Amino acid sequence: MSALTPLGLNLSGLITQIISFVILFTILYKLLYQPVINMLDQRSAKIKDNLDAAEKAKQDIASSEQSIQDSLLAAKQERQQMIIEAKEAAAKFREEEMNKAKSDIEAEWIKARSEIQREKDAAIDEVRRNFAGLVITAAEKVIDTSLDDKSHGEVIEKVLKKSI
Amino acid sequence: MSIIFRNTKLLLIIIASISVFVISILGGALGNQFGGGFLGAPLAHIQISAETVTKIKITEGYKYALTNTVIATWLSIFVLILFSFFIKKSISDVPGRLQSIAEIIVEFFLNLAESMTSPEKARKFLPLVLTIFLFVLTSNWLGILPGFGTIGKIESREDAIHHAQDLAEIQGKKFDESKVHTVLFDGEGSFGVLPIGSIRDVKSHDDHSSGHKTDDHKHKAVEKGKQEGLLIPYFRSANTDLNTTLAIAIVAMVLVHFWGFSILGFGSHLSKFINFKSGPVGFFVGILEGISEFARIISFTFRLFGNIFAGEVLLFAMAFLLPLIGIIPFLGLELFVGLIQALIFSVLTLVFAAMATVNHGDGDH
Repeated sequence: MSALTPLGLNLSGLITQIISFVILFTILYKLLYQPVINMLDQRSAKIKDNLDAAEKAKQDIASSEQSIQDSLLAAKQERQQMIIEAKEAAAKFREEEMNKAKSDIEAEWIKARSEIQREKDAAIDEVRRNFAGLVITAAEKVIDTSLDDKSHGEVIEKVLKKSI
Repeated sequence: MSIIFRNTKLLLIIIASISVFVISILGGALGNQFGGGFLGAPLAHIQISAETVTKIKITEGYKYALTNTVIATWLSIFVLILFSFFIKKSISDVPGRLQSIAEIIVEFFLNLAESMTSPEKARKFLPLVLTIFLFVLTSNWLGILPGFGTIGKIESREDAIHHAQDLAEIQGKKFDESKVHTVLFDGEGSFGVLPIGSIRDVKSHDDHSSGHKTDDHKHKAVEKGKQEGLLIPYFRSANTDLNTTLAIAIVAMVLVHFWGFSILGFGSHLSKFINFKSGPVGFFVGILEGISEFARIISFTFRLFGNIFAGEVLLFAMAFLLPLIGIIPFLGLELFVGLIQALIFSVLTLVFAAMATVNHGDGDH
């Protein structure tokens, strides 16, 4: 070491400087680097978290929008379905009612017709009967004999049976 | 030319600059040769070793020599601790100005380290690299403050000659009293500042030898109310002492190799230097690697010391030649050199640490 003394190197100075530097290193480590690095890490973690949260919120919004859209679509479809069903039901109902009315009318019609027919037949029968009676009366008048009620009826029955 | 005369402000600035320049030439060392030198201070006593400010008695027979560079080192440490204390006190997510500065520095080195090595290693190396950078930068920049090298205590002529004799003895040279130049200081106390115009008060051996002949006592040559001696500055830029730079270099290289051993394993790191596997050439290369590690310590030490010491001498010389204005451009230069040296020291440490923790086999070639 003594050969280096002209350069100012000496053991006590060197040891002093090494100790000073190590002390500075330790103090700065505790006071500066740890807090600042922790702060930088915390901040970057926080920013990352915030970004993630923003991303998540964005996704949430997108997904909720999607679900709203979906439910809207579903509602629309449901409405459509309901309309279709209602229309179908209405159509069916109408058809049924129509058929029912038709058949009713038909039945009425048939009934009426048969009634009419019956009435007609009765009327024709009546007319025939009367006519036959009339004819017989006329014939009585012509032959100048009268038939008693019993024979009168027998004649009519005979005639009618023949005519039928 | 007419523009200059029309613009009064510009004209005044030019006249003031020229007159300051002329005054500084006349008042400086150049003017001193022609009877001027009213502003100049004598060329400061320049020596490589740090000046001892005081000796502290620790045990009988051993006195600790407290040098001015050690005081400057402690001042830098104090400034840095104050700086970090204020940062730690008010550290927050939203950084203030001081915290921003610290964050810029820390982030710069963290990014640099991460670009060189793995992130885990970068975290490991960072404290040392940052400490080197901050300490070297702070001491370099403190070192160019006024008061460094100019305020100090006065060492009497007898003591100065005594010290010069000691030094010559150690160096094995013949002591030459004519090389001891002392200065006259105002006042009686031991606290001294080189007074303005003291360039004319330089005393050399000739004055004294002539004084011996006539008055037979050298103190009679000194006026009353003045004292003759040498200025021992209280502060001297910490890195103008080889002990400081060597200390940092040793700590840096010891830690670098500690990391080398702890990360690569003892045998693996040692095999870089003592290598029997690759034949005689490999062994020789290993030895060279080992020598280069010591060369690194030396180059660290002398690069920083040389730059800062030369800067100091440059500032002294400019203050001597051109008082008032001479040092202004060089102050800027010294600020720059101080920053660059701090960067070089810290980044080289980082590079060495990164290299030492890489296995020789994988990608070091």
